[in-house]
Amino acid sequence: MAEPILSVEGVSKAFGGLMAVSDVSFQVRPGEIVGLIGPNGAGKTTLFNLVSGYYAPTRGRVIFQGRDVSGKPPFALAARGVGRTFQVVKPFAGLSVLENVVVAAFLRHPRRADAERHAWTVLETTGLADRAHEAAASLTLAGRKRLEVSKALALEPTFLLLDEVVAGLNPTEVDRTIELILALRARGITILIVEHIMRVIMRISDRLVVLNFGEKIAEGPPAEVAANPAVIEAYLGEAQA
Amino acid sequence: MRDRRLVGSLAVFAALLLVPAAVHDTFLLRVCTEAIMWIGLAVAFDVLAGYTGYLNFGHSAFFGIGGYATAILMARGWGFAPAAAAGGVVAGVGAIVAGLPTLRLRGAYFAIATWALARGVQQLALMMTLTGGPDGIRLPPFLQPRFFYYVMLGVVGATFFLLWFLLERAPFGLKLKAIREDEQGAKALGLDPTRLKIQAFVLSAIPTAVLGGVFAYWVTFIDPASALGDLVSDQALVMVVFGGMGTLIGPVVGAVLIFAFKTVFWAYLSEYEVLYVIILGAAIAASVVFLPDGVLGQLLHRRGPTRPATPAPRPVPAAGKAEG
Repeated sequence: MAEPILSVEGVSKAFGGLMAVSDVSFQVRPGEIVGLIGPNGAGKTTLFNLVSGYYAPTRGRVIFQGRDVSGKPPFALAARGVGRTFQVVKPFAGLSVLENVVVAAFLRHPRRADAERHAWTVLETTGLADRAHEAAASLTLAGRKRLEVSKALALEPTFLLLDEVVAGLNPTEVDRTIELILALRARGITILIVEHIMRVIMRISDRLVVLNFGEKIAEGPPAEVAANPAVIEAYLGEAQA
Repeated sequence: MRDRRLVGSLAVFAALLLVPAAVHDTFLLRVCTEAIMWIGLAVAFDVLAGYTGYLNFGHSAFFGIGGYATAILMARGWGFAPAAAAGGVVAGVGAIVAGLPTLRLRGAYFAIATWALARGVQQLALMMTLTGGPDGIRLPPFLQPRFFYYVMLGVVGATFFLLWFLLERAPFGLKLKAIREDEQGAKALGLDPTRLKIQAFVLSAIPTAVLGGVFAYWVTFIDPASALGDLVSDQALVMVVFGGMGTLIGPVVGAVLIFAFKTVFWAYLSEYEVLYVIILGAAIAASVVFLPDGVLGQLLHRRGPTRPATPAPRPVPAAGKAEG
């Protein structure tokens, strides 16, 4: 089996007395799409922040491509090939859509003309090219989510963390986003995705990691995880289990 | 579009080179020299205020540091040019030292911290013998109005066109704007905010200090009140806000209009000096309310995307960012 691209080893994160993530371990192999699911407050976004460098783990290690990156700042991880989106989409509101993506493109293309050329290519992939000169603030929610993905892609990541890029979109937009995610995987990008919409996560993930109250309660192929009593209990409560 | 503005700026610069040939009145040349100085101070202020989103109320400290460094070194036999350049270096190092702790702060906290630092520098100048305490320092008089006009124009022109290249052409300006809009989000895109903000701070401090050095030599005397007071910070802020933040032309327009107003007022209505501050304050309040993009933004009816952000932190829906 291939060497894992990401290895989360016994990672915990405490905020004061609250254990947001507690002793979680899992691996992601190159080319996989791994879904990270769990009820609200399960620690999914905290785990994302740990993997993308926004938080340093209280305990444990995050290994990316064989190197310990625990506590490395986000911009250092971006340089190593980790791209991420934010659950609460945050475009640079005063800049145009194109400029938003150009900022990210500078990472691999330090010259402005090259960065712009690369940004255009990305915007064509994500279907935002015709809105390139509009203000980022003028985009709809669906547009902002696409912009969020565009920015992460402009980093030319080998590993992409997608935080709820589907939630809040209408069915057509959901299908387009799924196509996009599968196309990215086909290009060789490994993906870790947090998503609430089960229909989506079941369809695109190769494996699922399930969190509840900061702990990993299950891991495996979607069908297997969906049948796991602990997972059903976490989602539906004890009475139904 | 951008290029047309650059060509326009070059044309204005070339025209300004001819001013001393046309203006023989010493008072008028003096006014022009000071106006050009304020253009430089406002443009340098906007690097941090408009492009990066940090209101630096310690701007005056860098101006004073440049002035004092030049005065102290010239008193020890240095030539004017190396002394003024050394002032720029001292201010650049000072910006790194002051920036590391203060640039972690945002909004009003950064403004207060830099203001406090500037007060600290002023107190130091009042107490130390090196700076002459409250009496200040006299510089060797060099009474050549044209010399100072050209030196001021040269420093401000070089600053303006260097900043034009860095902020409007090179990636640096767009990176600073990204940090202004969303510092946390910018980190995920490979930007190191601390490093970029320090660079912006240094880039703002060095020309400010060099202008302080030129000013000190020009007026032949500096003391803590004139060189380290709040005037430089306050007036640069007013010029930038009035002209249009986050652009290079805006501060130029603002500096010229505000300085012209001030000069006319003091020349003809000096007995109503108090009124000047009141009118200026009212004009600023009105411009913030009615011209949020400044005079320049209003004139150009600029489209959304290129419009600079207002200095106030925009209400970003931040809920749910930490935990999901």
